[in-house]
Amino acid sequence: MIFNKNLKNVLLVIFTTLLLSACSTAKKAGTGGDDAYTGKETVKYLASGVPDRVFFATNKSSLTTAARATLRKQSTFLRKNKKLNVTIEGHADERGTREYNLALGERRANAARDYLMTYGISGKRISVISYGKEKPINASSTPLAWSQNRRSVTVKVN
Amino acid sequence: MIRSLFYSLTFHSVMILLTILSLPFMLREPIELPPIVSVELIQISDKTSIPFAPKARKIIEETKKKEQERLVSEQAPPAAKAKEKPDRIPLPNEKKEEKKIVKKKQNPEEIKPEIRQSSEFEKKEIVDTSQIAALIDKAKEEEAVKQKKTSKITQSNQKNSFATSLTLSEEDALRAQIFGCWSVPLGLPYDEDLLVRIKLNLKKDGTIMKSEILDHQRMNRPGQKFYKVLAESALRAVRLCQPLKVPPTGYDKWKEIQLNFNPTEMLKG
Amino acid sequence: MKKFILIILFNLFLINKSYSLIEVDITRGNLDPLPIAVSPLHVDIKSEEHKNIKIKELGNNISEIIEKNFKSTGLFNPLKKEAFVQKPDIAHLKPRFEDWRLIKAQALVTGKIFIKDEKLKVEFRLWDLAAAKEMTALAFTTTPSNWRRVAHIISDKIYERLTGEEGYFDTRIIYVAESGPKNERVKKLAIMDQDGAKTKYLTLGNELVLTPRFNPTNQMVTYMSYFRNMPRVYLLDIETGTQEVVGNFPGMTFAPRFSPDGKKIIMSFAKDGNSDIFTMNLETRVVERITDHSSIDTSPSFSPDGKFIAFNSDRSGLQQIYVMRSDGSGVKRITFGNGIYGTPVWSPRGDLIAFTKMRKGKFYIGVMRTDGSGERLLTENFYQEAPSWSPNGRVIVFYRETKAGLKGEGFTAKLWSIDITGYNERQLETKTDASDPSWSSLLSK
Repeated sequence: MIFNKNLKNVLLVIFTTLLLSACSTAKKAGTGGDDAYTGKETVKYLASGVPDRVFFATNKSSLTTAARATLRKQSTFLRKNKKLNVTIEGHADERGTREYNLALGERRANAARDYLMTYGISGKRISVISYGKEKPINASSTPLAWSQNRRSVTVKVN
Repeated sequence: MIRSLFYSLTFHSVMILLTILSLPFMLREPIELPPIVSVELIQISDKTSIPFAPKARKIIEETKKKEQERLVSEQAPPAAKAKEKPDRIPLPNEKKEEKKIVKKKQNPEEIKPEIRQSSEFEKKEIVDTSQIAALIDKAKEEEAVKQKKTSKITQSNQKNSFATSLTLSEEDALRAQIFGCWSVPLGLPYDEDLLVRIKLNLKKDGTIMKSEILDHQRMNRPGQKFYKVLAESALRAVRLCQPLKVPPTGYDKWKEIQLNFNPTEMLKG
Repeated sequence: MKKFILIILFNLFLINKSYSLIEVDITRGNLDPLPIAVSPLHVDIKSEEHKNIKIKELGNNISEIIEKNFKSTGLFNPLKKEAFVQKPDIAHLKPRFEDWRLIKAQALVTGKIFIKDEKLKVEFRLWDLAAAKEMTALAFTTTPSNWRRVAHIISDKIYERLTGEEGYFDTRIIYVAESGPKNERVKKLAIMDQDGAKTKYLTLGNELVLTPRFNPTNQMVTYMSYFRNMPRVYLLDIETGTQEVVGNFPGMTFAPRFSPDGKKIIMSFAKDGNSDIFTMNLETRVVERITDHSSIDTSPSFSPDGKFIAFNSDRSGLQQIYVMRSDGSGVKRITFGNGIYGTPVWSPRGDLIAFTKMRKGKFYIGVMRTDGSGERLLTENFYQEAPSWSPNGRVIVFYRETKAGLKGEGFTAKLWSIDITGYNERQLETKTDASDPSWSSLLSK
């Protein structure tokens, strides 16, 4: 009986130890990863339910799931309005060198354009322009502002 | 029986509770204290201008004289000792390294034992050889030994014979003075030889009678414009620093002095 | 017996020799700026008056420019005029060296100005006060309105004599003058003398302009503009003001620079999400592709002999610096450290590449050897980038932006410079906020 109690205590000690040591490990800072903006502020609408922009993670031009969903809605909208042409503006946040950001903006704009084209929208209807970090939508210097600035915006031309 | 059981259980639970509470603390690494570096403040000049030195010099000169006059020589084993003597004496060579050590601010304690040792050793040696010298009388061996001895003396006299160098503090004083006067031109290339040797003839008060840049042909060579600038800066430093901080005595030993300017160390920093 | 005498003589000889030459190693000097006295230039009485030039003040004005130039290098300490011991005219003929030395000067600059027949003649002398003799004496003749350039050329000559390096004072800096709120910036191309004087605007600010560069051989400038909302590289003639688009590219061109012989423009061209480097010959208008990779290739920089190009590419995943031959072959990565590298700029001396580095949220300006070794970070900041070299390869100019508040307030952009030893970091005077600086070569060449 004493043996049993001791066993329980030992297990209790081991369990508590594991618990406490797990708590003491520090969290490692995330490196870039997926910090694409997921909110609704700054988002405008091409039409009801069709957001005009998609957001990107730091240094990335790949489309997130949310971005693809938005673009699918845009493609539907464009298919309904066959006479509508658009320009996609690519932007970057201020945390990079100016010239690279121009190129990154262009890549982001084209990522959106290519995706729209896979949904049957003719490339002739979509032009592309990059503004690099020159036209932030949020002028402050916080990670939130930066995530809002990493965007591709679809703008109606006619 | 039950009581003791009860006591046992309480005691055990308390111990285990304490273990649980203290375990996370035990998991932390103990703070490592840096090892204590003992620093002893000593007066450098007391140690570097060895009090025995003048005495030793006198004794060595005396023994030299004695040997010339009395044709005294030593038998092989004592000769071996005698040969060692001149090697031990040039503390300046050791001193030179020690100077560098001091410069890098290492433990000054290190200097002390070395100096002490050699001084004590010296003392013993001097006594021994003079005693032995008085005893022995062989011409041929004497020549060979003397020549070897004298050559040993010259070797040690090459750069800084103990009798003719500046003490550590004298050198430091001079260096510190020139440090204040020498504006190092910053436009110097990193990977070239930047040694400028200036030979000075000084007056007793430390003013310069004559200065000479030893590699002055290099100053006008094409592609060595930086060398001209560097040499001029060194010359300017020396001229502006007059009167130089020279030792109060021993004019004969420092009336002609060579300063080796080399900023390579500074540039690499 | 003979042997005995020989031995005595040998010994005596050696005893004398024992007083050998003492050598002291001096391995440290001070980095204090060299104290130099710049005397106001003496104006010759026979000078004629010239329109717009206040001749009496010209002597002072020129010496003040020289002093300011010296002070800006961090290498010289111009002494205060109140302490000067001789009048400018006498000092120029025969300085009393001991008196000048008393005020702790090590070098003295004196000079004379003479205006006659619409010509300005300036002569100057540089004296070594420790050696009590003249080091350099030169004279210049030019139009009176060019007096600023004379002051800069004199500064260059003195700088060269005292440091062994070519000077960089007779140069200009081109940059982007910025104003307005952070998300609606108005940007204009601006040029100024390197000391901040004679600022001139080259564009009106109606469209965004970015990353201007000087042609090393003539009065042309290249930059990127959003004229008519089409981002392209343009050429601008400073003297005539005429602008033209470079090439006929069906997409954005950006990051333009001139080749060292001034005959080509090298730039990036972006299409379908990919940016590659191209050159265009300004005479033949022939366009050549230099890189062909699906990654972003930008910020190209020629070596001063024109044989190599350093550039920025993210072909390894993140921005790194690469070096290739000028025909695009032999691409080699040279940065492998922790962090992201951008904006490589080859030094005019050919020995170093300056760059911007980003790591853990901080921005650094640094230099490295052309094979990527010997990386040295010179300065750290919240945001800074785009280094550009002075023509003697000793000073780097770059720009910094400050953190903006929640509404974008408190945002500024300014030009800064730093010596390659990491010393003498200082802000450059500009009339407005400024970014994207580029340093010209010596105007007198």
